[in-house]
Amino acid sequence: MCFGIALPMDALPENLVLQHQQRVVLREPGTARELRFLFRDPQAELPTWHGNQLAIYSWGNRDDKGSRLPRTGWCRQESLEAGRWQYLHPEPVDIPAIMGLEKGVWFLIPEGIRGILVRDERELPHVYMLTQPASHYYQIMTRHDRMPVLLGQQM
Amino acid sequence: MGRHIGHLDADCFYVSCERVRYRSLQGQAVGVLGNQGACIIAKSYEMKARGVTTGMPIWDALPLCPDGIFIKRDIEWYEVLSRRILEIVRSFSPAVEYYSIDEMFFDAQGMSPDDAKALQQRLLNQTAVPVSVGVAASKILAKLASSSGKPFGCVYAVEEAVVRQLLHDRPVDKITGVGRGSRLKLESYGIHTCEDFAQADRRLIRRLLTKRGEDLWWELNGTPALPLNTTRTAHTNLSRGGSLGIATAAPERLTGWIARNTERLVEALDHHCVYCEQLTMSLGFKDGRSASQQTSLTATAGFQSLYLASLRLLAACWPAGRLVSYMHLIAGKLTTRQNVQRSLFGESDPRQLASDRVKQLINQWHGRFAIRSGATLPLDDIYRDVTNSYDVCDVYGKTCF
Repeated sequence: MCFGIALPMDALPENLVLQHQQRVVLREPGTARELRFLFRDPQAELPTWHGNQLAIYSWGNRDDKGSRLPRTGWCRQESLEAGRWQYLHPEPVDIPAIMGLEKGVWFLIPEGIRGILVRDERELPHVYMLTQPASHYYQIMTRHDRMPVLLGQQM
Repeated sequence: MGRHIGHLDADCFYVSCERVRYRSLQGQAVGVLGNQGACIIAKSYEMKARGVTTGMPIWDALPLCPDGIFIKRDIEWYEVLSRRILEIVRSFSPAVEYYSIDEMFFDAQGMSPDDAKALQQRLLNQTAVPVSVGVAASKILAKLASSSGKPFGCVYAVEEAVVRQLLHDRPVDKITGVGRGSRLKLESYGIHTCEDFAQADRRLIRRLLTKRGEDLWWELNGTPALPLNTTRTAHTNLSRGGSLGIATAAPERLTGWIARNTERLVEALDHHCVYCEQLTMSLGFKDGRSASQQTSLTATAGFQSLYLASLRLLAACWPAGRLVSYMHLIAGKLTTRQNVQRSLFGESDPRQLASDRVKQLINQWHGRFAIRSGATLPLDDIYRDVTNSYDVCDVYGKTCF
């Protein structure tokens, strides 16, 4: 799967960076700072291109037992295609990222990740990351049998 | 002024190529993984500083470098930059040897230290790939010079004092062509450093390491013995194959790999305009054992003949049920197509020849493996992954590997 993503600070507008200062990390001395979005964060969130707008939305539904939304941060592409998310009226979105994190391995993401946006009972947007069966490469690299659906070239 | 040879070695080339297209990787600890996702085939200096070595599995590298970023190799992209570098070096020098995807030798006659630095800077400006350059009286000295200057060094080792400094205390196995076996032989005679090697008796070196060793001795002493090969000398063998990824004992997958490797071999034979009269199959098993078998052929570069011969070789060297990890097909006894003797029993089926030609044309037009043998269908997972379609052996024209 993919439990976290990172993107360079300049990939987000200044106001969004200011609102998410706690996510700013310096990976290597002397390099540009990056923003990290991890599912284990106190507030699990993901940057999202929705229409022509870049915003930061809740990452799936991690804690709200009372919500109608599935209690996960990921959506299997197979179940989406089988219509099992249809009742939530999912909209396709792109999750900008240059790196993904899985089981301690940071891997490069060339363009970004596909996701879906659904709304809860209060019409608040939540983003789920789309996943697919892992390629042999991804499985060996991360020891996980699912991988994110990437924009552009697959790995 | 004697002859001067330059050597150019791109710094952590695969990582530098990735940094060209992904600027955010600048300054980060980066590891390039092989197609299986297991082993690090190249790493940045930042990752190297944490103790990660080439060939190390990712699970051993992670504890050493938890913030490292891992990328899948993309040889096709690396070749694009390699060719750009080659083009620029050719604009600086009248004779260039394309040694490997990230190394070149060039005629540096009349090139001053400032010229060498200008070349280095121009390469950085025009390709964004940092390189180290060495200039010396011979190829081996130039290679030692560029290596001593890494990263982004420019070492002009022409003056005697600089050469002496270069050889002093440098382990003897830093000389290209001195591997582990040669090093052990040399060490038993008290030859530990490049300086020891250069000062040793030439006849002793010849006795220990044959003429190849003697050539190295001349080169280290500043007398060129190795020519600058601006074109690749003809291959004696052509080989295609490698790791199967997941070891398999499934006959249909093994047959698929044979078809895939045969198609790649046919492509290489066509590229070099040669036929082969010998075919060898070499298998590596998961239990560490290996086997190989060889057969003679009427001169051919046809898919069908090579595929059928390979199937016979598989039957002869594979004990059914044993997991196969590696497979290589090696075409030997190569003859140029002009020189081949016409045979009554050769590649005579006109339909087969026509279908090979059509396949070749379609793939040239639509991309590699756009049309391929039906026997490769069980390997759909391999073909779906585009980075599997290009390997370092597909970069033609290199004089080394």
